[in-house]
Amino acid sequence: MIKLIDLTKEYRGLRAVNRVNLVVGKGTVFGFLGPNGAGKTTTIKMMAGILKPSAGRILINHRDLAEHPTLVKGWVGFVPDRPFVYEKLSGLEFLRFIAGLYRLNHAEKTENHILELLEYFDLVHWKDELIESYSHGMRQRLVMCSALIHRPKVVIVDEPMVGLDPRAARIVKNTFRERAALGTTVFMSTHSLEVAEEVCDEIAIIQEGRIIAQGTPESLRAKTGVDGNLEHIFLKLTEGKSIAHKPSFSSH
Amino acid sequence: MPISRLSLLIKPRFMGFRNQIRLSGKSRRRKALVLAGLGLVFCGIIFFLSARVLLHFKSVEIIGDLLSHHLLSMILLTFFSLLIFSHIITALSNLYLSGDLQLCHAMPVSLEEVFISRAAFTLMDSSWMPMAFGLPIFLAYGYVYRPGPGFYLALIHMNLAMAVIAAGIGILVTMILVHVFPAQRTRDLIMLLSVMMLVFLYFLFRFLRPERLVNPESFFTVAQYMSALKAPQSSYLPTQWVSDTLWAALNGARPGSYVFNIALTWTTAAALFFINVWAARGLYFEGYSKSQEAKKRFSAGKRLLDYAVGVLTRPFGEDLGAIIGKDVRTFFRDNSQWSQLLLLGALIVVYVYNFSVLPLDKSPMRVEFLQNELAFLNMGLAGFVLSAVCARFVFPAVSAEGEAYWIVRSSPIRLKRYLWGKYAFFLLPMLCMAEVLIIATNRLLEVTPFMMVLSTLTMFFMVFGVVALGIGLGALYPSFKHQNIARVATGFGGVLYMIVSSLFIVLIVVLEAGPVYILFLSDVQGTTIAAGQWVFILLSFLAVLFLNALAVFWPMNMGLRALEQYE
Repeated sequence: MIKLIDLTKEYRGLRAVNRVNLVVGKGTVFGFLGPNGAGKTTTIKMMAGILKPSAGRILINHRDLAEHPTLVKGWVGFVPDRPFVYEKLSGLEFLRFIAGLYRLNHAEKTENHILELLEYFDLVHWKDELIESYSHGMRQRLVMCSALIHRPKVVIVDEPMVGLDPRAARIVKNTFRERAALGTTVFMSTHSLEVAEEVCDEIAIIQEGRIIAQGTPESLRAKTGVDGNLEHIFLKLTEGKSIAHKPSFSSH
Repeated sequence: MPISRLSLLIKPRFMGFRNQIRLSGKSRRRKALVLAGLGLVFCGIIFFLSARVLLHFKSVEIIGDLLSHHLLSMILLTFFSLLIFSHIITALSNLYLSGDLQLCHAMPVSLEEVFISRAAFTLMDSSWMPMAFGLPIFLAYGYVYRPGPGFYLALIHMNLAMAVIAAGIGILVTMILVHVFPAQRTRDLIMLLSVMMLVFLYFLFRFLRPERLVNPESFFTVAQYMSALKAPQSSYLPTQWVSDTLWAALNGARPGSYVFNIALTWTTAAALFFINVWAARGLYFEGYSKSQEAKKRFSAGKRLLDYAVGVLTRPFGEDLGAIIGKDVRTFFRDNSQWSQLLLLGALIVVYVYNFSVLPLDKSPMRVEFLQNELAFLNMGLAGFVLSAVCARFVFPAVSAEGEAYWIVRSSPIRLKRYLWGKYAFFLLPMLCMAEVLIIATNRLLEVTPFMMVLSTLTMFFMVFGVVALGIGLGALYPSFKHQNIARVATGFGGVLYMIVSSLFIVLIVVLEAGPVYILFLSDVQGTTIAAGQWVFILLSFLAVLFLNALAVFWPMNMGLRALEQYE
């Protein structure tokens, strides 16, 4: 469903994403892990059509994003890491606005779907409030609703759990699993290794713009020879050794 | 109060500015140079025009100097009133709404320090532009009257003192109003401020009666004229102290003769500073705290807005309609946006009012000449009014997406459709406004039918160009990370837009001047127009059409390309 071919992004000589190649199948929940500044958000922004790659291709449902941007964007639901939305709209108006952008008409079906999503993400009581009065977590849930409104084939999510309370986090995790079971591909970056372990079918680890490992958690365990949870694998693959030898604050 | 901590609070603004310059790429530096060049050209034009007027005044015996002095007072009074209102608006955002205030108030710094640092930002934000565009006028005075260095010294410190006084008044008024009104009613507060501004502007213009400068001969005696000119001055106005100081310095008076005015101005500035700090202890934090309280649930006017959005978005299709509907809702719910409509109203009222009081019959020039000359000038002036309105409403149209621009970028809507949709949306209201303005003022001038048709048509085509320049340059210089949309128009791109669109209007008027003169003379004198002149007329009007087309497609394409590459 998603295919990244030699995807590269350079900023003033700095290669933030360096020839990334990935294939993600239909109905997969794919975890994109990496240390801070590794290139996760840059990759995701390129996949959402917000950043232009310096080189390489992004195929979604066998179509090139650069060649058919409108068509491909119509298949994708995107949730950025920081949920900036239009503060002066109410939650309901915002979702109607998004439905309009995706050319979903104002039919009862769309309206019902919007209300279902609001209900599901626990926002229905706030639907007529201006977004400026929403908390961070509420905004995050609202953006999640907006990404699902057009029943996308692919959901791309950057750090979905930031600012969510445990109940909202549970709703989001369930959503990903349920959508994947229905054939939607979920591509998410996360810092939370527990979330990745719990939700993801497959994982890729990016460091300094390059993919350094990819596979199921089991295959990664086998590959690294680490017999523990994902955190151990992650630390081993990235900076595990150096962190392990760093003195703790209390020792000073 | 430790100065070092105060300077720390002010420092981030300067560091941000320095970093912006230091880390900007080549293309941005080039743009800045172009803007600086255009700004200099613009200032040069103001200087040239001011010097012409002053030289003309100087040539008028007995009352020439009086006219120049009066003009100086008028300019200073206009600047001063502009500065006060600009400070009120800026103080509201700098002292109560700015995003970094939370951090500042959470730091172990005193309230006075936060207040003074914010007041300093307000002074800088509000004053730099009137000062920059006022400088060429004052320099023109220097050029014409050849004063000593004392004038230039006085020019710098007296203008600074005037800005401090305006800041003192503006900030104090803002603090009192925010204190009196509950934060949830900032909408009413801004409404009140805007109405106050309207009333103030009206009285200012009634006081100054600029029409009296047009025809001194119509006064019965020179003494009567001079006493009429002296009427609006008041010794309690700081502008009068500044004006008298500058005038004395211009005429080479001994510094001792105007030191009292300098002392008066600076002590007023200092007193206002201390009064503000004292008032802030009681008023500022309470007002700030109120502004942080939860926003009110909205309900008023929702149905009406829903209906308006439904009607307005109908012709635009599903996706574009969604964007325009969102823009309309945001516009009417965002105080900083809709309140500008009132300012627009004030601008138009004052503009039309000026034409209604022009003493055409008192002019020594033949009335039909003057009427048509003024009608011609009116095309340019109405164009500038249109530009000013577009700078406030059209130019920020793309930036209005703010940090939520990712939604448009990641959605399936094509940027071309998005940009032209915004253009189409603004075109009709701007056309209506411009045509009403030009027809109303032309009717007041009682122009010939030919001038009426010509100016109506010229304005019609000009609107297409001015709006496209607004949308195109707004896309070329978007500011998605703004904290207050009202400030987008005063940024780099906004200033560039005002300059470019002013040049566009001047070019159109210049291109039409020749042919109109030929046509007008032949009409008045009953002469026939030669074949060569017809060719010239045709070519001129074709050039006007070409320029209009260029003004539509060039900026729109540049803006589209810039948006496509925006990262």
